[in-house]
Amino acid sequence: MKLIKSIVRPNKVDDVKGALEKLQISGMTVTEVRGHGKQKGHTAIYRGQEYNVSLLPKMEIEIVVPDSIVHDAIKAIMEAARTGEIGDGRVFVLPVEETYKIRTGEKEVY
Amino acid sequence: MPPVVAAGVSFTLRGAAVRVHNFDYHTGDTFNVMMEPHSTQVEPRHDPRAVRRARLDAACRELVAATERGEGGRAALKQYSHRVDALIQQLFSEAGVAAQAVGVFALGGYGRRELCLHSDIDLLVLFADPIGDPDERFLHAFLNPLWDLGLTVGHHVREVGEGARLADDNPEFILAITDARPVAGDATLLDDFIGATDAARMASRTLDALKALIAERHARFNDTLYQLEPDVKEAPGGLRDLFGALTIAKLTDPVLLSQGGSGPRVLEDAEEFLLRVRSILHHAAKRHNNVLSHELQEEAAERFGYAGATPRQRVERLMSDYFRHARAVDRTLRWALRAAPQPIGPNLVLAGEGVRFLDVRAAADRPETWLAVFVEAIERGRAVSDETLACIQQHAGRFTAEEFLPTPAHRDALLRFLRPRPGLYARLSDMHDAGLLGQMFPEFKAISCRVVRDFYHKYTVDEHTLLTIRNLERLTEAGPDRARFGRLLAELERPELLVLALLFHDVGKWRDDDHASESARLARLMFDRLGLDEDARAVIDFLVVHHLKMSVAAFRRDTEDPEIVRQFADVVGFEERLKLLCLMTLADVEAVGKETLTPWKEELLWRFYVDTYNYLTLAYGDEVIERNQTALAELIAQREPDLSARDIEEFLQGLPRRYLQSFSREAVYRHVRLSRGLPPGAIQAWIERKNSEWELTVLTRDRPFLFSNISGVLSSFGMDILRGFAFTKPDGLVVDMFHFTDKERYLELNPGGDARIVRMLDEVIAGRTDVAARLEGREAGAFRRPLPGFAPVIHCDNESSRRYTIVEIVAENALGLLFRMSRAMSDSGCDVDLVLIATEGRRAIDVFHLTRQGAKLSTAQQQEVIGNLHRVLEGRP
Repeated sequence: MKLIKSIVRPNKVDDVKGALEKLQISGMTVTEVRGHGKQKGHTAIYRGQEYNVSLLPKMEIEIVVPDSIVHDAIKAIMEAARTGEIGDGRVFVLPVEETYKIRTGEKEVY
Repeated sequence: MPPVVAAGVSFTLRGAAVRVHNFDYHTGDTFNVMMEPHSTQVEPRHDPRAVRRARLDAACRELVAATERGEGGRAALKQYSHRVDALIQQLFSEAGVAAQAVGVFALGGYGRRELCLHSDIDLLVLFADPIGDPDERFLHAFLNPLWDLGLTVGHHVREVGEGARLADDNPEFILAITDARPVAGDATLLDDFIGATDAARMASRTLDALKALIAERHARFNDTLYQLEPDVKEAPGGLRDLFGALTIAKLTDPVLLSQGGSGPRVLEDAEEFLLRVRSILHHAAKRHNNVLSHELQEEAAERFGYAGATPRQRVERLMSDYFRHARAVDRTLRWALRAAPQPIGPNLVLAGEGVRFLDVRAAADRPETWLAVFVEAIERGRAVSDETLACIQQHAGRFTAEEFLPTPAHRDALLRFLRPRPGLYARLSDMHDAGLLGQMFPEFKAISCRVVRDFYHKYTVDEHTLLTIRNLERLTEAGPDRARFGRLLAELERPELLVLALLFHDVGKWRDDDHASESARLARLMFDRLGLDEDARAVIDFLVVHHLKMSVAAFRRDTEDPEIVRQFADVVGFEERLKLLCLMTLADVEAVGKETLTPWKEELLWRFYVDTYNYLTLAYGDEVIERNQTALAELIAQREPDLSARDIEEFLQGLPRRYLQSFSREAVYRHVRLSRGLPPGAIQAWIERKNSEWELTVLTRDRPFLFSNISGVLSSFGMDILRGFAFTKPDGLVVDMFHFTDKERYLELNPGGDARIVRMLDEVIAGRTDVAARLEGREAGAFRRPLPGFAPVIHCDNESSRRYTIVEIVAENALGLLFRMSRAMSDSGCDVDLVLIATEGRRAIDVFHLTRQGAKLSTAQQQEVIGNLHRVLEGRP
């Protein structure tokens, strides 16, 4: 099992969700986040005065998927979130060692 | 038969008080008088003075007789007051025919019909119009006989027109007038006189005056009623205190004295006792004496027939009764002072429980007065009383929407009421709960408790709507995290329109399909009812139709894509609408649920706002009108007969598209017409009034220093430029428009002043007059204390536009500021092609689009312009 953590443009969340649902991946955590990557934000001007907008609003989508569909899931996310412009985001893949169901206390080890 | 006296038929009948119909020889009016007491002397038929003397003596004897029996109380004094009324009516009719309408009114104790034997007779003589010589003669003819009779007359002479300043009159007079009643002449003049002043302010002033006089009087008696030789009129617990309590009740709440203090019956007994004592004092002293001295205490005790073997015992009983009554008066006065509600409007008071109607029954039939309750509650930061809300709830259903707002003044009051500020949500909720909001806005009724099931909304549609308004109202006191949105709200020209739009934005949800267009349809039904002007209608219609657009774009589109920003900028058109829609979106999203609007979403919204704002103010110069534009085709299709399609095309081509959003179709046609064949050197300019502001439009050919000259001429006439723009076409035609205020009222006070300004424009633009010289004197006086911590901001931008270098300046507004800045740019060799002018409070926000010899400015040239601007903004030579 892998945890796939994607940072995407806010307006791409629905597209990414749609693409993942096609792979029968429906469980996910979506969080509003702010940050920057290589893009490092930029300086905006409002009424002649500069202000720093280095932390850009992005969305983070987390899913945990079996190893067998990790690559399909990554591909689906990348395709759905891509515009080709700077600021499209990142995908991180992390191994998942164990998970617990809080309701039942059941432990799953991979 | 008894003898006939002058001024009407009257019969002498001993001790009787029978009303008969009387006839006035002079006016032909019939009126009621009391029958005269019997005169022991034969009244000489042909000597009016003797007749008057005999009448007065008879009246006095009648009062004295009652006093000697210890019965000089209310009934006797009322009788005596009637006798004096009759005497005054007689004198009035004998004074000759007045040159204009005049009325005589009794004031103070005489007004209350409690005239004592040696009391002053306080009169108000009211003339309908300004007093002239014939009126003076009339006045002398009327008053002299009263003085001849030895009466002490306190007379006030006023013109009805002076009523408007009544609240500022002397305190004793405004207090005396609360007991005024007509005695002779035109009785309606008093209503005109009092009606001309603001009733609530008058009542408030009267109360203040009364309280001050009471405090001052009590201080003279060391603030105690337990005086061994009390003044029954002036001392604490005396007659003045009693009338003070009655006056407070009269001015604030007629039932006040039945709710606390000693109670009405005890007070009546006290009044009767004190008046009887006072009558004895006047009679015994043979003058205006109100002090119950030791000597007179014995006489009074005797007259009252107190039991007791010795005078001392009788006096003790008298004084025991006196202090009992004085305590009752004192208790009542203290209660009245403590519990009286504060008059704050017609039939409106502020009491412990909040704002309420003084007379609920009267208010029930006057729906047009109801809004004032909520207005006052907001203004004073108080609630509306439950009793008043219950009254509104009970009766609201009886009235149509129009009956709540019958006149333009009522409709204007509603718009002012809707300005976002603390308390608006609470009061609107009160109105909604009482059923008033739904009656006033029937379209709103359909969403009352309406449930729409979706994933987002947490509240019923009506509550969601009211919460949007609460969110807006909270922005007026926004903390640092929301300050940027709070500033936007403060900058709005008519924030009440945003509230009205919010009130209607979801009314279409009574149906289940596309609610925005249905909401807009319903909102349009309200426009005529509220008599909204065209601008207001357009703003509300725009906001309701597009209320979802900004959240969709900001939260669901790629806002980093310039095309998304451009498309959205096309929808909003100009900055004011962008601000309105941004605030509407913020308020709307936040009202969906408690956690819907996250700081993250706020940031997205703000960035999208800034990008769109920058596009509208910085990039609009590149968006020029083209031949194939829909708006152009529409203008051509609907053109007026004297204009050809070519005229319109030629005029519009090359102008920024923003021009079409800035002017109505009629204005565009006018510009086309006036600019046709406009020779170089000629100008077409006109000034029009726009509500409280003025608007100058100028059409001419470009030339150096044109913009600075126009703004300089306006400033030289003392005009404060608030908003405006300047557009220059590639062929050199210039369309400038300035909105300005005229604080010195030059245009209002000088007919033809607009033509004079236009002539001066012509002179200055042609170089025949130096506007800088005209401005020098004014500018010297215009420099004021700068805003603390506010340094001017100048920003040069060579990126936002393909064609222009943009200079954005935020500086403290001052007379001639635009002139100085634009002149500095022209001095640097720049052409001022486009200008946007805005003023927000004391800040001027101006954006200039410049070129130099047809090209953008180099870095060095930009530095030169910035340097020159700093120099003029700092007032350096």
